[in-house]
Amino acid sequence: MLSVAARAGPLAPFVSAAAHAVPGPLRPLAPAVVHRDQKVPLDLKRPLLCRESLSGRAARGGLVASASLNAPASVRCVHNDVTVPDFSAYRRQDVQDANTSSQGSSDSRKGFSYLMTAATGVATAYVAKNVVTQFISSLSASADVLALSKIEIKLSDIPEGKNMAFKWRGKPLFVRHRTQAEISQEAQVDVSQLRDPQHDLDRVKKPEWVILVGVCTHLGCVPIANAGDFGGYYCPCHGSHYDASGRIRKGPAPLNLEVPAYQFVGDDTVVVG
Amino acid sequence: MQITKLPNGLVIASLENFSPTSRIGVFIKTGSRYETTSNLGITHLLRLASNLTTKGASSFRITRGIEAVGGSLSVHATREKMAYSVECLRDYVDTVMEYLLNVTTAPEFRPWEVADLQPQLKIDKTIALQNPQVGVLENLHAAAYKNALANPLYCPDYRVGKITSEQLHHFVENNFTSSRMALVGIGIKHSTLKQVAEQFLNIRSGSGAPGAKAVYRGGEIRKQTGDSLVHAAVVAEGAVVGSPEANAFSVLQYVLGAGPLVKRGSNVTSKLTQSVAKATSQPFDVSAFNVNYSDSGLFGIYTISQALNAGEVIKAALNQVKAVAQGGVTDADVTAAKNQLKGNYLMSVETSEGLLNEIGSESLVSGTHTSPSAAAQKIDSVATTDVVNAAKKFISGKKSMAATGDLGSTPFLDEL
Repeated sequence: MLSVAARAGPLAPFVSAAAHAVPGPLRPLAPAVVHRDQKVPLDLKRPLLCRESLSGRAARGGLVASASLNAPASVRCVHNDVTVPDFSAYRRQDVQDANTSSQGSSDSRKGFSYLMTAATGVATAYVAKNVVTQFISSLSASADVLALSKIEIKLSDIPEGKNMAFKWRGKPLFVRHRTQAEISQEAQVDVSQLRDPQHDLDRVKKPEWVILVGVCTHLGCVPIANAGDFGGYYCPCHGSHYDASGRIRKGPAPLNLEVPAYQFVGDDTVVVG
Repeated sequence: MQITKLPNGLVIASLENFSPTSRIGVFIKTGSRYETTSNLGITHLLRLASNLTTKGASSFRITRGIEAVGGSLSVHATREKMAYSVECLRDYVDTVMEYLLNVTTAPEFRPWEVADLQPQLKIDKTIALQNPQVGVLENLHAAAYKNALANPLYCPDYRVGKITSEQLHHFVENNFTSSRMALVGIGIKHSTLKQVAEQFLNIRSGSGAPGAKAVYRGGEIRKQTGDSLVHAAVVAEGAVVGSPEANAFSVLQYVLGAGPLVKRGSNVTSKLTQSVAKATSQPFDVSAFNVNYSDSGLFGIYTISQALNAGEVIKAALNQVKAVAQGGVTDADVTAAKNQLKGNYLMSVETSEGLLNEIGSESLVSGTHTSPSAAAQKIDSVATTDVVNAAKKFISGKKSMAATGDLGSTPFLDEL
């Protein structure tokens, strides 16, 4: 009793195709993707032309058909049915000709690309910086607070010798129109004897106007103007005496009265803060 | 080697060779000859449908499960026989056996899965038909027979897309019955197989739908293509499987020449090649063709030649067979042919795949197993007169022919 295989003689590979539901590692594979309308890619590597290549091709026995199954998870070894789409709409004109070298245009292409990148980088950096600073500056004082932070004082309203107190940034602001006698007296004071040595002219822009923050540097009470032993200010809380320049002369305070930042705008106005 | 036949007709055969791999096959006596015109191509789809969802396992599970153990599942089919085989390492036999049984006994053929598989019929057929030999042999059978064996192995184009799940179920119900099946294993214990068979392969009893008896008619089919090589087969009715005539025809095949025996050799010892070489100097190939079915067979010659000398090649080959029929064969030739045939047979059963095929085919046909030495003896018992008579039968029998290629110079049957 002979089986088909034996009766057919040595079965040349072409008369038995194999159907493998789950191909083992050594089986040939069929294309896994089914294209309904496209041509099936065939293995066209065998031109039968000479005597030797024809040898053994004549069929000797019956067909044993074993079709290669498409197991859903089969691995494809030949991707000859994958079509690469046409990207010419996206490509540069300079490189679309397949017969010319692209080296000639490479400098201009690179230059253009780098220029565009650099310009975009600069623009992005500028925009980023603006965005970031806008967000962070929103955390700083708002306009109404900033509006409150400056005060404009009309100087002609303050007569000589008078000290006017204003509310500024929640603190009392003393603006004193000093007389000439006070100015010269303060200028003659020996700076080395002071607790907080500062010359009067260092504390004022125009000598006849001294602008101070009216908060005692000891513990924060408001000194009384035109009081004390030195013709300046006297803090009633602990007995600190300040002179007409706001410098501490006697008492527990350690520092001179603070001089805020101010600006003379025109002849008649000073903007403090 | 143990072989048991169950009362319901199922044959169980196993060979425990302690090999590290096991191979199990379910052989079923069904094939394209059992198709009718209303369900042509159904065996082709059945071949491709072996990994579809079954009652016990989904398609994904079957594939993944078999892959996970490094096994493989295949279906091999001829016109009369289908073989579902799995191969795996010994330790995983239970797993793959489960899938094999699911596939052969309990397929579900879900309509959407079947519909998705149908385009694959076309792809499979196109790949197979890349080789002109396949087309010629299909045409040869269609020309030689009126029914049954005339049905093609590959689905006809008009039937692609029309095979339904119900038809598949019906076909399986009527053909995959116990009495027409054989369960064969190599590298597995007989008791395991027997237990499995008794439990699972008992579901469809009876002998199912009987196939029609093949009626030989002898015709010719020519397919004109632009191919510069002409493939032609001229055959007459041959021997039935298992008859003493079959052995005589096999020996005759080797006397005439059945392909190169030396790798990259030029086949000079083949009588057919020698006689055709005298007739033409162009490249050609010629071989004796022999196939046996359960109620018929075909024997003849198959030639491949250049389009312009096709006639000379075919006529020279036929003249050689005529010379053998007139007694132009010596005992030495016959002995050489017998040795070649024996060598071929024995080498084919050296591999586990060939052995499985051999055991399975024989179990289906007769329920017994012939040992290789007994088969060799049978071959030896063929006498020269038997060979000559076989050749005479071919010469006197009604011929069938199939040819493909540029057929301008290819003679018709009545011109041969």
